[in-house]
Amino acid sequence: MFMSLKRKWTGKKVDAQAIPVPTNPIDEILGINLRNSLIAKYNPRVAIERARDKVAAKVALEAAGISCTRTIAVIEDYGTLMRYKPSKEFPDAWAIKPARGSQGDGILLAVRREGDVWYKGSGTPLTEEDVINHLRKVVDGHFSGDAEPQDAALIEPLIVADPGLANLVPEGLPDLRVICLHDQPLMGMVRLPTNQSDGKANLHQGAIGAGVSLETGRITNALQKGKPITHHPDTGSRLVGFEIPKWDEVLYMASKCGPAVGLGYSGADIVLDENDGPLVLEVNAHPGIEIQNINLLGLKAQMHHAGEDFR
Amino acid sequence: MFSELIARFQRARERATPQVRRPFYIGVAVALGLGLLVLLGLLNTEYFFAAPDAFGDMATSQAIWGLKPSNLMMVLPLGAFLVVLARSFVGVSAFGLFTPMLITLAFLQVGPIMGPIVLSSAILVGMLAAPLLLKLRMTRVGFLGVLISVVVLVLAALQTFLGRELQVDAFPVVVVALVVERWGRLWEKDGPWVAAKTAFNTFFLAIVIQFVMVSHFALLLIEASPLLMPACMAVAIGILGRYRGLRLSEIGRFAPIWLERRRIAREGEEKILTRADTDEEFIAAWEKAPPLEGMWVINSREDLDPKGRRQVPQALPNSEAQFAPRSGASKRPMKHNAWIIRSPEDV
Repeated sequence: MFMSLKRKWTGKKVDAQAIPVPTNPIDEILGINLRNSLIAKYNPRVAIERARDKVAAKVALEAAGISCTRTIAVIEDYGTLMRYKPSKEFPDAWAIKPARGSQGDGILLAVRREGDVWYKGSGTPLTEEDVINHLRKVVDGHFSGDAEPQDAALIEPLIVADPGLANLVPEGLPDLRVICLHDQPLMGMVRLPTNQSDGKANLHQGAIGAGVSLETGRITNALQKGKPITHHPDTGSRLVGFEIPKWDEVLYMASKCGPAVGLGYSGADIVLDENDGPLVLEVNAHPGIEIQNINLLGLKAQMHHAGEDFR
Repeated sequence: MFSELIARFQRARERATPQVRRPFYIGVAVALGLGLLVLLGLLNTEYFFAAPDAFGDMATSQAIWGLKPSNLMMVLPLGAFLVVLARSFVGVSAFGLFTPMLITLAFLQVGPIMGPIVLSSAILVGMLAAPLLLKLRMTRVGFLGVLISVVVLVLAALQTFLGRELQVDAFPVVVVALVVERWGRLWEKDGPWVAAKTAFNTFFLAIVIQFVMVSHFALLLIEASPLLMPACMAVAIGILGRYRGLRLSEIGRFAPIWLERRRIAREGEEKILTRADTDEEFIAAWEKAPPLEGMWVINSREDLDPKGRRQVPQALPNSEAQFAPRSGASKRPMKHNAWIIRSPEDV
C-alpha cells in the first residue's frame, strides 16, 4: 500500500515484465477491492453508462461489426407505449428486457403464441394486458436500479439456443461469459440453467457455472451453488469435458466487445444461436469475480500474464 | 463440546498457510480493537432503558453519554470510518452505503436500547406492508412515499402507545423507508434468507458504530479539539480507502482455489519424494522390464566388458504375414478372387 503511494509520488516507473508472477495462491485471486480499482482505472464513466444501457451498447457493438440479437422495438416513453399494440407487432416468441436492468431482473420471455395470448416457458399465459403492464413497469424504471426514474424497454425475438448446448439443459438459454482485459480474454465460463433456477442463467438462483478452458474450449470444472458437480442434475448429461461449440469464434468476438464499447476491463455475455451462431447479449462493465471459484483459477494471475501491473 | 471446538480450531490452524494466517491475525487485532472501543462505549452508558422524554429538555445523547447535540455531527467521521472498515476490509454487506451510520444517528437520538426497538419495529411493520404495497403496482416514487408514511405512522403510534415523545429526526425516517425498500427488492431477488442476513448486518453494524461513537476515546477526541476527529478520520479513511487486497470475507469465499492449489502442490511434492526415497524399488521395477530386443543389454559395469556382452536375439519380421492378402485395405473384392455366394443375401 505504502510502496504504491511512494511510487506514485516519486513517479518511478517499474517495468511490467520485471514484476514476478505471484506464486502464492492468495495473491492470484482478484478481490472486489482490486476489481473496483481496475474498473476505475480502465473503464471510463461514459463507457460504463454505454455498457449499462443495452440499446446504446447494441449500437456501439453493431458499429464495430459484432453481431447482436435483432431488435423488434425500443419503447422509451409512455406515449410510444400507449400507441404500441403487442398483438400486431410481436412475433410468436420474444423477450422484453429493461435497457438498464441488471442481473436478469425484469426480463419477460414468451415462447409461443395462441391467438392473442402468449405463453411463458413455464406455461403461464400472458395476455396483451399483462404484456403492457410489464412494459409499463419497465419504462417506469422498476427494474433499473436506484438512480433511474425512467427506462427503455427493449423487445427482441427469442433466441433459440444451439442444439449442442441446448441438449445439456432442461430449459432456458445457456450463456457464455468471457472476461477480457482490453482485447485479451482472461477467463471463460458457461452458465447453464437448471430447473431450480427456473430456466434462468443466474448463478444466485441455482444455475450451474461451468469453467471453460480458454485453450481447448472444454469445460474443466462445474459448480452449482458452490458445490462441485460433474453432471447436470436435471438432464444427467456429462458437463466436465464437454466441448463448447464455436469456442474460437466466441473468444474472438468477446475480445472485440470491450474495445467496441470503450471498456478496458469487461465481461461479455455471449449466447450461441441455432442459426446465427454466437451473438453478444450484453457487455458488463462490472463483471463478477465468482468466475474464479468456478474455474479454480485466479484472475489476478491471468492479468499478470496479460501484462497488467496493478498500479 | 469445547474440546471438539478447540480441536476444530487446531485443525483449521494446521490447514492454514501463512498467507491466510496473516490476514486472520490482522482481522483478530481489528476485532479486538473494536471490541475494546465498544466496551468503552458500554461503560460510558449510564441509562440503558431510558426514553427520550425522561430527561426533560436535555437531549438524550447528552443525558446518557455526555454527547452534546451539536457534537452529533462530530462523531459522523468516526461512523464513516467504521462503515468503510466494515465494507472494504471485512466485507460485510449491508443495505446502502452509509445507511448503518445514519441509523446510528437515530439510535443516538432515542437511546441505546429504545432506539433499536423503535426503529426495528418501524422497519418490521414496513417489511410486512411492503409485499402488500408491491401488489398495488405503484411507481417506485409512490411506493417510497407510502413507506415513509407507514414509518411515520408506526412512530406516531408508538408515541401514543408509550405516551412519550421519541424525538426522531426527519432524516432517519427517510433512511428507514429506504432500508425497507431495499429489503423488499433483496427479498424478491435473492430470497428471504439473504435479505434477513443483510438486515441483521445493517443493524449489528449500526449498534457497534453507536457504542464506538459514544466511547471515551471518541468523546475525548471531540473535547480536545473540534478539528482533531475529522482530520484523523479523513487520514485514516484515506489510507483504508486505498486498500486493494482481499477482504476478510473473500478469503473464505475463495478458499476452494487456494485449497486446490495447495492440494496440487502437495501431490506433486509427494510424487518426487517417493521416487527419491524408494530408489531401490525404482531399480527393481526397471530390472523387471523386458530387455530391449536386438540391442546390447547393459545392466552393470560387467556388461560393458566385450566378453561379457549379452545380445538379445533380434525379433525377425513375421515372414508369413507379408505374403498374406491385405484384405480390408479397400472395400472392393480382391483381384483374382471370386465372389462368394452362399445365400440370397450375398447377391
